Amino acid sequence: MEPTRNTHATLVDLLDRILDKGLVINADIIISVAGIPLIGVNLRAALAGMETMLKYGVMQAWDEKTRIWEREHRKRQEVSLLNEEEVSLKIYGSYYYSKGIYTAWRSGYFYLTNKRLILWNGDFNEIIFQISLEKIKGLIIRSEKYFIKEDREILYLIGQDDKVERIHTIKTGEFKEKIEQNLKVKGIFLKENYVLPEFEEGPIDFLTEGEKVTHREKKVWYLLPAQGILKETWRPGHLYLTNKRRLCWWNYFERKLVFDLPLDRIIGVTVEMRKTSEFGSNREKVLDIIYQVNSTRRIASFSGKQIDEWVQVLRGIISDQRDEEIETCPQCGKTAPQKELLEKGCSNCGWISPRIKQKTEGRKQRAEKTTA
Amino acid sequence: MVEGIYLYCIVDSNKKISFGNIGLDNNEVYTIPYKDLGAVIHKCSTEPYKSEDKEKVKSWIIAHEKVIENAWERFGTIIPLGFDTIIIGEEEREPEENMQSWLKNDYENLKNKLSKLEGKAEFGIQIFWDIKIISERIIDTDKEIKKLSDEIKTKSKGLAYMYKQKLENILKKEIEKETDRYFKDFYDRVKSCVDEIKVDRTKKEEEKPMLMNLSCLLAKEKSKTLGGELDKIDQMPEFSVRFTGPWPPYSFV
Repeated sequence: MEPTRNTHATLVDLLDRILDKGLVINADIIISVAGIPLIGVNLRAALAGMETMLKYGVMQAWDEKTRIWEREHRKRQEVSLLNEEEVSLKIYGSYYYSKGIYTAWRSGYFYLTNKRLILWNGDFNEIIFQISLEKIKGLIIRSEKYFIKEDREILYLIGQDDKVERIHTIKTGEFKEKIEQNLKVKGIFLKENYVLPEFEEGPIDFLTEGEKVTHREKKVWYLLPAQGILKETWRPGHLYLTNKRRLCWWNYFERKLVFDLPLDRIIGVTVEMRKTSEFGSNREKVLDIIYQVNSTRRIASFSGKQIDEWVQVLRGIISDQRDEEIETCPQCGKTAPQKELLEKGCSNCGWISPRIKQKTEGRKQRAEKTTA
Repeated sequence: MVEGIYLYCIVDSNKKISFGNIGLDNNEVYTIPYKDLGAVIHKCSTEPYKSEDKEKVKSWIIAHEKVIENAWERFGTIIPLGFDTIIIGEEEREPEENMQSWLKNDYENLKNKLSKLEGKAEFGIQIFWDIKIISERIIDTDKEIKKLSDEIKTKSKGLAYMYKQKLENILKKEIEKETDRYFKDFYDRVKSCVDEIKVDRTKKEEEKPMLMNLSCLLAKEKSKTLGGELDKIDQMPEFSVRFTGPWPPYSFV
């Protein structure tokens, strides 16, 4: 096949080249339209036969506006750097911002310099996130669900105090390598296979110092008690159990903690199949937690996919609690674990709790009946 | 009222010559040397060239191209500029001075570009595809589509309509997949014959959808190999190829 140059179609091809391409001089010395669009639009309008002045005028105004906006915009797009700081990589990306109730992926340009990693939002002249390289303790890549879409690679950056930041760029792997390179130059070598410390996504402002979540579920329904004219309603939220013996439920809608229970107050945990909606007849497993506040008993109801797991965890904790509690025998005053006293009786004087007595007596009677 | 310089191209020679009155509106075109480079220009006013008259615009564009072609033939290696690049003067500064200082500042850059372009030309490749042939083939071979179109026959009018919609969606997706596959294949084949490749936006022309629109940079004499590869594509019933050039290297500067 020989290349051609002389048909009508090639004229169109040529036109594209001459109007849209060619060396562009980016300087003040040429007529401002040399950046093409204005002229391009004008000539194209003529060629395409769109001679209406209206369209022409509209496009011209639009073009000028775009240009002015662009010019002003360009003025303040670079991040300000420190002395002797040099940018070695600039890449578009985002960072999971969570402060107080505001959480979101915020995007901008990451600047990797010989001193810092900065996420810069040029539109608002704002540093969204920055960390000096010395403070980076670990870098880990994991894939993670992004909204409802497919998984995407997230770079977990572990800073001081094991604070974990989540970062995403188009080339996460390359980005990580570049950061590591810059660290190497500074003589910093990160541990390979750094273990990702526990960290909470979303709201953790309710945790006290040193407090950590030991068990969590993202979607747990809680039967919000009636308030004023509002009937009791099921609401979605997060359920947390912490190492400081608190059970907390965070309301997804109100974005705050509305249920906060010290585990010591729990008296019992039961499970029941119940209707959770006025509509339909579906029954779901509901976890009822019976607890005590100022000697009145209350019930908190939860439902969710992992409810069985929660039952197990909570029952485990409560029985531990009983095991540890020491009581005195009501008859002789000897101290013994509560559980032992209640279930087996006192090893010293032979006291037996009335409930056990009843049970054993009932059993005896039944046994007598059957023999009779 | 002469205050501007219309710039056609930069050439790899400092010979001072006149091309005669071949410029836009028959202006005299000549070179201005700087070091071992030259700028091909004509003197003009500071008003950019614009017109509503189709024929006029066409003649300008052809003139612009002619000058560049002419320079290309004479000097071998050039950097073409886009239409309507006009250098203007400033207060107490002639446009010529402005151009000289631009050439001075960009000298290295221009020299690099020139050496990259030496002996090479740009070729345009546009590949069109026939939607009918491709979709017929998919309908014949795709199992899911076949099953659906068989089922349609047994359905009521309303259901058949829904089925048809579904069918069309599937077909659309399959066509996209197919064209993606061809795009990659053709791209690789073209790539193996050329030095550089630029993917341009595709356009709809004469009802024929364009699969790909490429600009390629290669040594002029290598265009035969590329042509051979394109022949193979052109011979496929569902595709046709338009191969244009050699052009001055507009896309690679």
